[in-house]
Amino acid sequence: MSALYPLASLSQIENTPSKQHGMPEDLEEDLRAYGCKLIVQAGRLLHQKQVAVAAAQILFQRFWFVTSMKQFGVGDIAMGALYLASKLEECPIRMRDLINVYDALLQRSIHYSKADTEFKYHAMSYFGSTFYDIKDAVVVAEMQILKRLGFHVQVVLPYGTLVNYLRVLGLTNHEDACSKAWGYLNDALQTPVYALYQIPTIVSAAILLATRNLQIPLPSTPPNCWWELFDAAWEDIWSVCGYIMRLYRERDVSERRRVMGMLTKKEVRRWLEEHAAGNPTSH
Amino acid sequence: MADQVGPSTPSRKRSKWDEDEDEDLGPHAHISVPKRRKAKETKLIPTNALPSPRPNPPSRLGHSVYVPQRTRHPPIIPSRSVYCYERLNQIEEGSYGVVFRARDKQTGDIVALKKLKLDEEKNGFPITALREVYALMSCRHENVVGVREVVVGDTLTQVFVVMDFIEHDLKSLLTVMPSPFLQSEIKTLMLQLLSAVNHCHANWILHRDLKTSNLLMNNRGTIKVADFGLARRYGDPIGVGGMTQLVVTLWYRAPDILMGATEYSTAVDMWSVGCIFAELLLKEPLFPAKGELELISMIFKLLGPPTKSTWPEFTSLPLAKTLTIPAPQAPLFRQKFPYMTTAGIDLLMSLLTYDPEQRTTAAEALKHPYFTESPLPKHPDLFGSFPSAAAGEKRRKPFDSPSAPTRAADYKFITDFDLPNSP
Repeated sequence: MSALYPLASLSQIENTPSKQHGMPEDLEEDLRAYGCKLIVQAGRLLHQKQVAVAAAQILFQRFWFVTSMKQFGVGDIAMGALYLASKLEECPIRMRDLINVYDALLQRSIHYSKADTEFKYHAMSYFGSTFYDIKDAVVVAEMQILKRLGFHVQVVLPYGTLVNYLRVLGLTNHEDACSKAWGYLNDALQTPVYALYQIPTIVSAAILLATRNLQIPLPSTPPNCWWELFDAAWEDIWSVCGYIMRLYRERDVSERRRVMGMLTKKEVRRWLEEHAAGNPTSH
Repeated sequence: MADQVGPSTPSRKRSKWDEDEDEDLGPHAHISVPKRRKAKETKLIPTNALPSPRPNPPSRLGHSVYVPQRTRHPPIIPSRSVYCYERLNQIEEGSYGVVFRARDKQTGDIVALKKLKLDEEKNGFPITALREVYALMSCRHENVVGVREVVVGDTLTQVFVVMDFIEHDLKSLLTVMPSPFLQSEIKTLMLQLLSAVNHCHANWILHRDLKTSNLLMNNRGTIKVADFGLARRYGDPIGVGGMTQLVVTLWYRAPDILMGATEYSTAVDMWSVGCIFAELLLKEPLFPAKGELELISMIFKLLGPPTKSTWPEFTSLPLAKTLTIPAPQAPLFRQKFPYMTTAGIDLLMSLLTYDPEQRTTAAEALKHPYFTESPLPKHPDLFGSFPSAAAGEKRRKPFDSPSAPTRAADYKFITDFDLPNSP
């Protein structure tokens, strides 16, 4: 669609609203990634098109550059983003289906944040208010995403660009390189890079990671650096690689549980209050 | 291994984040780049195969025309409040919502505020409103009404699209104009309309409601396509059930939709463009039918009934079997438009073609010889201006000339009244 999709400003990147409320950078990054995982899981269960799931993750990532996790629950915004993206991509989800899936994912997250025992899903009570509470939360989340992104919900996905770049570099016959680079682009959706960098930079980073991993040589000596064909700056490519690589770092059980247990704003607020005393950046 | 992959410290092309005195980096020019933590070592990529985080000084290269500068991208900023605008008057109300004329308190600009109908929405933000906002924001063009921003009120159901205020719509103008547009003016209007439609189609947007009342015109002869309430993206795989047939105002609806087609494309807009072209020439709608059957018979009368050669797919359409097709007859374009040139008739016929596959595209129509023959298109600045009803300006009745005085005594009385010193 329109080539000029919104990108975060430097001040928004350096000082995100969540960071201003005292949330450490690592934790915010992990919560963003976990929210994106929820979107992917819900998308799979709802048989959503990949473009809608990808667009939802990008909208979700943009949202946290203008809003703090103290104000809105990560889970609510994740589902609101998926609901909104399904409309934008002309494959709208039935609200009832989304509510049921969200309820199951929420229950599972809460369960695994406390124990490692097998998870059993408990269906919503027919007479309870859970259904309507979740429905209200998703509707509000969708509206808040629109409002706080100024209705600039244009999303440009990188897959077409990747195919073109691989063709230019003569890598289309190299099946591993194609699938690996595609995989890195999908993984990058769990990071904020689509709200920070232009598509050519992100695609170049995915190609760089794939070719280095598979030890495929590409011209990298000045003045014949392959990424300059695509108007990507080396330092930006390197930064994108850093974001993607941090997704794969080992996390201990307590870290994983902490993230799973912070899907609601209530839990985030509780955590921030507990850690406020020892955190100089908290407000 | 590192040698095979290439040097680990390639030359650093200047980052788009960096300060640069030669480039306009906008409001964030003097903010330092946030330092990212180094990627931790993983099993996936050996560290000696990773690029160096400290590349060499920059090699200054020109900026590609294909990738805009990062600072050209819009920022991520929330919607402003509707109270940034002062409401002046209501312009119109439709099924979609109300349109107000308003003034930006900051800049003093006059704008149109379109309030979207969101009350009692059971499924969140309506997909139709979303399509409209998305289409308008994606199709920025000189001849498409400009969306400045979307603002919000006190509650989540108060959403207003802020658009450029345009004085007239073509429908109203055609009604009040004492004489029709000149050929040179029609050419200018058609070029602008085709340019806008071509831009929308190039951006994968179908308008699906083109008509004279949705074409706005300012006092400088520029027209703008408005009301994207039925617009949607096309080209993607269509969901179950195809696309709705309840599109396009009846008089401007293409025969393929009338016959029940659920898969259609840019050709539906081109038929509407043809109807608008004819309306500009006639100063009245081409097919002012009361219902679908009457519309079909009107189309058959002007174009002649469809045949195997003019519309091969006709018989396979859902509603084709329910119609009794009259005997073949020649099109009546020449009788209907006696003063049109051959090129003009040819353009009209290519727009009003039965078969959507054969119907001309906006890009093709823009290159039609009709626009290069005499009289040439008039420059928009040379168009006459009209009082704007939307801005609350009074119109003089164009058709009624003032009546002559009935008695000389009345005239004497008036002059006496006006000139007390007269004898």
